[in-house]
Amino acid sequence: MTRVALIAAVTLALAACGGSGHARGKPLVIVVNAPFSRTPYLGRTIENGVRLAVGEVNAAGLRVGGTSYELRVQTKDSALSPARAVSNVRSAADEHAVAVVDEGTGIDASWRVARGLPICIVFAGGAGAVDPATRPNVFRIAPTDHGVAFRLAEYLIPKHLRIALLHDDSDYGAAGASALGAAFSQNRSSVAVDETVPADALDLGPQVLRARRAHATALLVWGRPATIASAIAAARSSGWDVPVFAPPTGADPFVRQQLADHPSWVNGLTFAGGRLTAEVGPGPFTSFEQRYEGAYGVDRVGVKTRAGQQVLEPPETAMYAYDFVNLLAAALLKAGSIDPGKVTRALEEVTTEGANGDERAFNRSNHEGVVDDDVYFARFSDMTYAPVKDDPLSATLPTIDQTR
Amino acid sequence: MKTFALLPLSFALVLVLAACELDDKDKEGLKKDCSAPPPALKSAPQLPGNFPRAQGIVYTGVKKDGPTTIASGYLAQTIGPAHDTYSDAVKGAPGYSVTKEEQDAADAEVNFAGGGNTGQVKLLQTCKARTSVTITIRPA
Repeated sequence: MTRVALIAAVTLALAACGGSGHARGKPLVIVVNAPFSRTPYLGRTIENGVRLAVGEVNAAGLRVGGTSYELRVQTKDSALSPARAVSNVRSAADEHAVAVVDEGTGIDASWRVARGLPICIVFAGGAGAVDPATRPNVFRIAPTDHGVAFRLAEYLIPKHLRIALLHDDSDYGAAGASALGAAFSQNRSSVAVDETVPADALDLGPQVLRARRAHATALLVWGRPATIASAIAAARSSGWDVPVFAPPTGADPFVRQQLADHPSWVNGLTFAGGRLTAEVGPGPFTSFEQRYEGAYGVDRVGVKTRAGQQVLEPPETAMYAYDFVNLLAAALLKAGSIDPGKVTRALEEVTTEGANGDERAFNRSNHEGVVDDDVYFARFSDMTYAPVKDDPLSATLPTIDQTR
Repeated sequence: MKTFALLPLSFALVLVLAACELDDKDKEGLKKDCSAPPPALKSAPQLPGNFPRAQGIVYTGVKKDGPTTIASGYLAQTIGPAHDTYSDAVKGAPGYSVTKEEQDAADAEVNFAGGGNTGQVKLLQTCKARTSVTITIRPA
């Protein structure tokens, strides 16, 4: 591990030595395709992760095939609309962008109009989105729905809970429903009820009541942050203290903002997400977080702890976006070209150290950057979360500070 | 500009120190004599998808967590050879491939796909000459 850390140190040192802070070269655009207008936190954190890496790459200097380049960032709002997301990717290809960092909406169509341009998904984990054989230009650095759903099944089924599976009718919820269906297919007796609910519904009282009447002893809500908040509100306001489980959207600041008037309702919410720290410990992630905050400030959740401390959101999705840009820079150097096909192939051959200290890499048969076994569980208490102690992986992970 | 240049260097220093601290802890474990190994299962379990049996593996347990099968055991090897043993076993098994692998000072991971499943072999050297093995197998 020392070797990896030393490589990182040398890389950073070189970046510092070579960086004039005014990199000059031919512009090379990375497009960030994200729902800035619909889920502003998500869009902004992806953009910031990309910008942080771009700043570091430019400071080190990027010379590809004898030409100096300067990476630039262009944002395009998908508004969670597949049609708009596809249009954004088409224009990115038309404008000769070098890559797209994508939230994932519309990927089933956008990969095709990209005309070979590398696209990296950093949020949506749906099955089929990434397939090196049929979609060679699509990569992902984010937990997969398969990994999240199976890890949740592994965690919950041995507890002998009767689980109400609620998933909303958004693309995200539908993909989750499919993944949960597979994960619980061998253990249907653990499922009390399996129901689709309207995305962003303000009142999920009737659906939650049906779950209660089905003698559920746990709610697993897979949907947008608003759906998770509504389900919790419906359960707690009816006096039902049922444990609630969620995919990574459970940690979205919007859930806590919506429940800010009843902070105790958030207590006990458990979500599955990609581990923030690697075996090397919290050092690399903390270092990344400090650089992120130094550049863009902290991501405030907009709620406070009982002691009055501001609650912050660790830059998890930003980390994935950051890691992809570093892989892209390494691939450009390896390819010695900005040709999309050559860069895509080079992305299968390079390895970098990720922001959390783990290796990031793809290969010919695997374009997934986060393995299923890196999905952990964290539980909320007093508006912040900590890894649970009753899961072997989670129990080994440190708690990342979320207050100032 | 000088301040900017110093920042990455200080972060680099933090990284190196953090890694060194972990390496020291790991190395302590690697030097320890091994206590008696956990008892072996009477017969090797039949793992889903005909998951390959690596040369020298001693199985000590197998359980189901919901849809997932988790087998545990050990190899009487240090981490490097143990990693090679499992990497070779997976690569050599019909229909199986290694999707990602990684090795650190005392631990290694071999992620795989095959036999209708995906999963991970997690290896951790806990003493001088033994590496614990945890195999997680999930339906793909």
